[in-house]
Amino acid sequence: MNARALRALVRKDLLVELRGREVVPSMAVFVGAAFVLFRFGLGGTDLAGGTRAATGMLWVAIVFTALVGLSRAFAHEREGRTWDGLLAAPVDRALFWAARACSTFLFLVAVQAVALPAFWLFFLQEHAGPSYPVLVAAVLLADVGIACLGSLLAGLASSVRAREVLLPALYLPFSIPLVLTAVRVTTDTIPPQTSGFDTLGRLGFLALYDTVFALLGWALFEYVVED
Amino acid sequence: MAHIARLDRATAATVVAATLMASAVALIFFYVPSDADQGYSQRIFYFHVPIALTTYTLFAWGALNAARYLWTGREELDLKSYVPMHLGVIFGSLTLVTGSIWAHISWGTWWDWGSRELNTFLIIFLFYCAYFMLRFSVEPGARRSRYSAVYALLGVGLIPLSVLAVRIAQDALHPIVFRSNGVNMDGSMFFTFCVALAAMLSLAVSMYLVEMRGKRVDERLAQLRRLAREAA
Repeated sequence: MNARALRALVRKDLLVELRGREVVPSMAVFVGAAFVLFRFGLGGTDLAGGTRAATGMLWVAIVFTALVGLSRAFAHEREGRTWDGLLAAPVDRALFWAARACSTFLFLVAVQAVALPAFWLFFLQEHAGPSYPVLVAAVLLADVGIACLGSLLAGLASSVRAREVLLPALYLPFSIPLVLTAVRVTTDTIPPQTSGFDTLGRLGFLALYDTVFALLGWALFEYVVED
Repeated sequence: MAHIARLDRATAATVVAATLMASAVALIFFYVPSDADQGYSQRIFYFHVPIALTTYTLFAWGALNAARYLWTGREELDLKSYVPMHLGVIFGSLTLVTGSIWAHISWGTWWDWGSRELNTFLIIFLFYCAYFMLRFSVEPGARRSRYSAVYALLGVGLIPLSVLAVRIAQDALHPIVFRSNGVNMDGSMFFTFCVALAAMLSLAVSMYLVEMRGKRVDERLAQLRRLAREAA
């Protein structure tokens, strides 16, 4: 019953996106433009700080891109006034959060399927970069955390005035531990300073982050949509 | 009668706080010996660490009341959650300022990006600020109370994760060279530290009681205004 409702809700989000194409294309353009900006910000031809700095920038871009997407989460429910219909459905309200987290995760993965090759093209072609399996694992784990927490915060911000500026302020403090760890786990695999030693532990931290905010999101979302 | 009892409690807490604070200042400047390594300036430790611990306590208090609010829905718990968070911002700012002064004296820089404590605290401080932005973006009422409580409880996840993240992010590159001053304290130092901590905590309690009283008077006044308007 719950799995069916969840599937239906995620399908609804994906259909809305497929028909309107509002979120994913904007995120993709945003992240591409951000990479160009970072490339020039790091000095253009000779990459200041090397791929180490670029990888740090990648994580900043990932967080900001997610914020661009999250700012439209629940926008249809608000603007199309579909909340009342959804809330009338006889399902656990945490499912709305779970569905939003799933669709946000899928949007992030879709954008990163374009963004990571672009990152390679812009920054890693002529220099040694981070280990790709570690980078992909870290990105996927980070996406889960961003989607879980971001969906809850987007729910909080969606019915508040000045929601567009509020969501980044609410989200960014929470992104610091994530970015801090993700940057270290990926830059530590860049030669010649590969350590590999703490990689698993740090990926484990990202998984812990996901678990904590998945549990909190599940437990707290019903208070966000109570009225 | 209830008002008089409350007024007395706040006054009593203030007297206790003032006495303890005066004793703590006297102990810090005239009693406790200077630290062997860092000399006289290490005395800021007796302010900085108790203030930081008070900030954590205030946050835990606010989060606990937030959880109780969501659980029971009792209105007064919202205020009891908000006021500690508000005081937490004040004590948090003081922690950052005293930490920064201490960093300047010991390490010659106003901010050390390698210091675990300072960086963890910075994340928590940003979180506190965001709590306020959220609270003041929502109209007063049940929704504001709920949203504030939800965000406060998210902080319960954030704080341990920040402590952990700052720790594991630094292990490889930045060996921890700064020893913790709390470990090897002799008796007089530990005594002074305890008095200073008690002074900060009682200061927080008295500020809490005073602010709660102010907020309750505000509420009562708003009620009276509403009644007067309805009567007119």
